[in-house]
Amino acid sequence: MRNVNVVVMGFGNVGRAFVKVVSLKRKMIAEKYGININIVAVGDSKGVAIKKEGFDEYELLKMSELPRSSLHMFAPYGRQEVDIKEVYRETEPHIHVELTPANYLTGEPGYSNILFALRNNAHVVTANKAPLVLHYSEIMNEARSRGLSVRFRATVMGGTPFLEMLSSMKSHDIERVEGILNATTNYILTEMHENLVDFEQALKKAQAIGVAEADPTLDIEGFDAAAKLCIISHVIGKPINMNSVYRESLSKVTLKDVLDAVRQGQVIKYVALLDTQNKVASVKIVRLPKDNILAQVGGVLNAVRVKTDATELFFVGKGGGRIETAHSVFDDVLSIVLEKVIGK
Amino acid sequence: MKERRSLCVVKVGGSLLRDGRSYIESAENIKKTFVDADRLPIVVVSAAKGVTDLLIEVAKGSKKHLEAVTEKYLSIASEFSSPKLSRRVHEELEHLKRVANTISGSFDAALQDLIVSFGERISKILMVEALEHVNVRAVELNARELIITNNIHGDASIDYVATANNLEKIVKPILETSATPVIEGFIGATEDGAVTTLGRGGSDYTATAIASLLGIDDVYLVTEVDGIMTADPALIPSAKIIKVLSYREAMEAALHGAKRINPKAFEPLEKFYGSTVFIGSWRTFGTKIQRELPADLAGPKLVMHKTSGDIPYIAIIGEGVGNTKFLKMIIDIFYEKAFSILGIQSYYYRPSILVYVQKTEELKILRELHKSLFEGAKP
Repeated sequence: MRNVNVVVMGFGNVGRAFVKVVSLKRKMIAEKYGININIVAVGDSKGVAIKKEGFDEYELLKMSELPRSSLHMFAPYGRQEVDIKEVYRETEPHIHVELTPANYLTGEPGYSNILFALRNNAHVVTANKAPLVLHYSEIMNEARSRGLSVRFRATVMGGTPFLEMLSSMKSHDIERVEGILNATTNYILTEMHENLVDFEQALKKAQAIGVAEADPTLDIEGFDAAAKLCIISHVIGKPINMNSVYRESLSKVTLKDVLDAVRQGQVIKYVALLDTQNKVASVKIVRLPKDNILAQVGGVLNAVRVKTDATELFFVGKGGGRIETAHSVFDDVLSIVLEKVIGK
Repeated sequence: MKERRSLCVVKVGGSLLRDGRSYIESAENIKKTFVDADRLPIVVVSAAKGVTDLLIEVAKGSKKHLEAVTEKYLSIASEFSSPKLSRRVHEELEHLKRVANTISGSFDAALQDLIVSFGERISKILMVEALEHVNVRAVELNARELIITNNIHGDASIDYVATANNLEKIVKPILETSATPVIEGFIGATEDGAVTTLGRGGSDYTATAIASLLGIDDVYLVTEVDGIMTADPALIPSAKIIKVLSYREAMEAALHGAKRINPKAFEPLEKFYGSTVFIGSWRTFGTKIQRELPADLAGPKLVMHKTSGDIPYIAIIGEGVGNTKFLKMIIDIFYEKAFSILGIQSYYYRPSILVYVQKTEELKILRELHKSLFEGAKP
């Protein structure tokens, strides 16, 4: 049995789900692959819980029951304040899992955490998009120079292996990637169409059931979808800058717009587009005929159409459900372990 | 690591959950009755007493009732003097408040279910804390992830295949950690993740479904009373506890309005594994409900009355009461006491006789039948 030490930074919805999924599935993984996934430290904005020999299943489940920002209360392992140096000194992690929230102005704290991890010889799995969007080349160069991996399949269509598939299409010239990349806004639009409520009401409902954040700016102003386009552009080797993505705010859509569209047999969708031929990228409110394949993708589903010089593919799956995203993060961890850690 | 056969299901009814002290009492009883006896109970909890009714008002837009719920749960949480718990409960209540704020004029069944679900969600957190408080390792399970239902909001039915799949996946980790899992009764979610509720008495349904789908032998439904009685003790003080009932008898009783039995709860037991259901209090589990009755336990089990429309009826419930001999005996009682029969209904395949009677004689007949059938009086 090979022990793999994992440090988790960020303990919001995805962090909790990840810890829970690991606690429920790691015995199965151990039996199947001979790997023991040891979560040795988990940090949030206020503190960190450290256990050098790894938390057991019961401890991981109890940890996921903590209130927000209170890992420091996780007796006897919790500590006030996060000192990543101390965490690494004590636990010597093989893999760093970055699940902190995205900040598109600075990329912090994810950016510093990821660089620190790489410089201390840990592979990185991130669900935080901001560090990649702002510093993709730097992070990848740092990893490459040390023979380390950075995986991030949870960042785009988080519940699916879309990015894995896309990056494996190495012989294709990818001309166009277009789709519904943000679950929150798609849910809001679906609400507006199905229940004929206005934007505010639909947003409130999305917040109530936990599909939208208390501060929904990143979703409804298109930042999230733009960041995803940016990551896709890096993966296919035709990088664009997030600032060059033209964005429209979804909050402009009124109930009247929806009614007008419906009357004309159309559906309003919030569509992200990366056109590598014409070098344009946008996140726009568009009207699609009802029978358009994207028009039929409702609720929290995501969908992408990829056009290459050889073929056209369509990909549908859950966007950012916490359990699905946690599995994507876990899959990244496992693929690193199987390819890099054990192989060494 | 626990053995699978150590599992049982224990449902703690809301009538037992009034304040912090009563959560701890329940936890102590779970420890004494099950954990110390080397069993691993899956605990199903209802909302604290009265909370579901308050939440139904919240769903109609009442701010006053929202305050009452908040006050109730915060005050229960504060009794544990755990800052961690108080914060957690506070977070849930804040979430509830956000949901309540989305209520607009029109009634939304999905929203009502979501709001009502907080009663069980918070109760579960409190029960886990209470168990830990009495040194029982306990973990939360999430009904919204495990119990999958159709989308009939307010009265959803469990999707047994999807739910069995989910439950089966967590059994092994549960046995491995040997921690007592606690799950919300009464709530579930559709495949799409919308929260649903299972209708009146839904926690019993959650409990029996979990037991049946996991092939667990024993389900304990804990309430304030010691078991199901031969008649309503408020009307007939000499009513006694019924020791054994069949599913059919229990369902028939529920059909005619018996309290503390939810007919839906027997559906999984009939369709899948036939667990034995024990109904009672922490003092004693007086009534046992099982799939088949041994022949010597056939016969009347309880009498009850129900008014449907203008004409009330008396129901005599028990396997085999539809046979000719028993019918004659009942008619003899009516004849001797000069009660009038307005109608009578009985089928050989059903465990019941219904006798339609005059309103003025209803209670007299009930008492007389109870005396003859259960108190050894000669008809």
